[in-house]
Amino acid sequence: MGCSSSLPGRSSEQLGGLNNNPETNGVSDAKNLRVKLVLLGDSGVGKSCIVLRFVRGQFDPTSKVTIGASFLSQTIALQDSTTVKFEIWDTAGQERYAALAPLYYRGAAVGVVVYDITSPESFNKAQYWVKELQKHGSPDIVLALVGNKADLHEKREVPVQDGIDYAEKNGMFFIETSAKTADNINQLFEEIAKRIPRPSTSS
Amino acid sequence: MSTTDDLPNSEPLETRFNSIALQDEEQEQPESSSRLQAQPPEEESLCRSVNGDGILEIRRVDGDGGTRNGCGWRRTNSELEMDGPSSPSSSGYAGERGTSGEDDEIVEISNDVAVMDSQLPWTPGKRHVDEDDASISWRKRKKHFFILSYSGKPIYSRYGDELKLAGFSATLQAIISFVENGGDRVKLVRAGKHQVIFLVKGPIYLVCISCTEEPYESLRGQLELIYGQMILILTKSVNRCFEKNPKFDMTPLLGGTDVVFSSLIHSFSWNPATFLHAYTCLPLAYATRQAAGAILHDVADSGVLFAILMCKHKVVSLVGAQKASLHPDDMLLLSNFITSSDSFRTSESFSPICLPRYNPMAFLYAYVHYFDVDTYLVLLTTSSDAFYHLKDCRIRIEMVLLKSNVLSEVQRSMLDGGMRVEELPGCLLPHSASPRLGQHKQSTDSLERFREPFVGIGGPAGLWHFIYRSIYLDQYVASEFSSPINSPRQQKRLYRAYRKLYASMHDIGNGSHKTQFRRDENYVLLCWVTPDFELYAAFDPLADKALAIKTCNRVCQWIKDVENEIFLLGASPFSW
Repeated sequence: MGCSSSLPGRSSEQLGGLNNNPETNGVSDAKNLRVKLVLLGDSGVGKSCIVLRFVRGQFDPTSKVTIGASFLSQTIALQDSTTVKFEIWDTAGQERYAALAPLYYRGAAVGVVVYDITSPESFNKAQYWVKELQKHGSPDIVLALVGNKADLHEKREVPVQDGIDYAEKNGMFFIETSAKTADNINQLFEEIAKRIPRPSTSS
Repeated sequence: MSTTDDLPNSEPLETRFNSIALQDEEQEQPESSSRLQAQPPEEESLCRSVNGDGILEIRRVDGDGGTRNGCGWRRTNSELEMDGPSSPSSSGYAGERGTSGEDDEIVEISNDVAVMDSQLPWTPGKRHVDEDDASISWRKRKKHFFILSYSGKPIYSRYGDELKLAGFSATLQAIISFVENGGDRVKLVRAGKHQVIFLVKGPIYLVCISCTEEPYESLRGQLELIYGQMILILTKSVNRCFEKNPKFDMTPLLGGTDVVFSSLIHSFSWNPATFLHAYTCLPLAYATRQAAGAILHDVADSGVLFAILMCKHKVVSLVGAQKASLHPDDMLLLSNFITSSDSFRTSESFSPICLPRYNPMAFLYAYVHYFDVDTYLVLLTTSSDAFYHLKDCRIRIEMVLLKSNVLSEVQRSMLDGGMRVEELPGCLLPHSASPRLGQHKQSTDSLERFREPFVGIGGPAGLWHFIYRSIYLDQYVASEFSSPINSPRQQKRLYRAYRKLYASMHDIGNGSHKTQFRRDENYVLLCWVTPDFELYAAFDPLADKALAIKTCNRVCQWIKDVENEIFLLGASPFSW
């Protein structure tokens, strides 16, 4: 973050966020939710892979560095016959974009913080993002902590229990996933969908 | 800087070598020589340019002591080895490598600089990360680019691991600061076949070490573009980080951008925009481009600063908001950034980017969306929360483009290609026009050409290729490569020759030269500069001069005839 000065001013006006879409925040109706979701985490932990696995069912082992942030959406149907449309901001993990993160997480109903179970450093970075979201995110934001690359268990350096403990302390939902094997990817988003506060019937 | 290319007299190498080791600004008077007369073959003129440039050029700032300094620099390597490490700002790093003269060592192996890269197809991303300045292979690379900070910290290296190059980087910094301490600025060091070119941009130093015989101006221009690419990613306000902390490590800020820089450096050898300072359009029917322009215009009226529709590095259409102008170099850097970063292809994106010529201090926000593998839309805005608006704009644009078949026309044009020298109108039978050329091909062609499945003979009068740059439009058009310029290596060599030609025509004080005719063993090169356009043409080395000139006139006429299709006309928001 040594370079925050090179990034645009933090004037409140500029950081209006990317939630000006009239449809984004507003919920069409109680049965069809639209949810802004932001993924944060260190570079290389697999944020884009998680999203692409979820949205397109694909996994591309060649790493493509995300620039700025990518926007994707995916709708899932829950058992209670509601549908949830996720509008996903897959942010770049690179340091130079860190100061721009508010642009993407402002107004997000869901924050998914990802780390790599083989990298303690990325776990530290994840905790930084959790604090940032608690401080500056929406007050009722649903937070999830995700340990990705669970298929690389022989290289594991972050014990499951550490993830569980940290998530519990911070009132977050915790899950370990593998974008490569698709393990727990759908579960992650389904679980999030269940936890999103439903709009009151008056809407 | 060097106008010595034009010196008509060619003194023996040694005398020139010593006398022009250092040139005062005032001494660089252009000496008139007529390019129209027969030029010496390339080898010879190159020699003279090496002599003339001397071993080192220093831009003189203070008044006296020039010659003495010059003599000192004449023996540059040995002196620097002693003085470099003791210079006040080369702390720490120089020690790691000791005081051995890297420059000397590069020169030693410069005779067998046949590194095999040019044979391989280019792959994106950084190669040879395992190398450092102790690797023989690293030293044999023909062209190195470095970015470092003024405290000597490596920021980027084309080859090798930046971290391992800390010592080398500190040495470069020591050279720069040694000269700066004397109130001078080092621009170029010549060491045998190698040139070391320096560019200082505030706290950022850029260095190119090359044995490609490209002129100083070209290499300096390439360093400028690399700097611009860095600014596009970070803005110039990164300088403030160095004000706070001179030892600031910038590498993490550029994380993941190796591929952007390596793609830019690669484009130096295939993209004429890197030296012409102009952009090129995809050939399209006038009505098709108009349709694309109309919808982009609609969008630009709704608060979009620039709307650009491109196919690879070629412009389909572009529109700027009122009074906003886009520099061709910014377009080059922007399209390089987008096409080299694969993540843009995956899904629509919204990213901060800076256009260095537009405003180097501030970020703009770029909405990027790919319509197909090669065709993409960039919408630039100053507003950080305009994403959904831009997304709506894109949907509108996409609908119109589909309805008016613009996207399929674009794809067809990609397949069809652009102008071909064989199709130059006005010459029905190129074979009969110059039968001698055909015979020449039979007898002296290299084996390489015989291996080609189809051996064409190029265009009429031995025309092989041309580039036409319109001054007013800031656009150029290049003919498709055809036989015998078929392999990437031959194309690269031709572009190098063009670049040299461009540099010599744009030399300071050389404004009076309007045409140049140059013959060497590879080509006849003909350059024609007028207030309206510049034409660069390459012919068979045995081409007849009068015929070549005639052919160039025909090329110009041809371009006039089809300008509606090859250029973006009317909406020209460009100026600088």
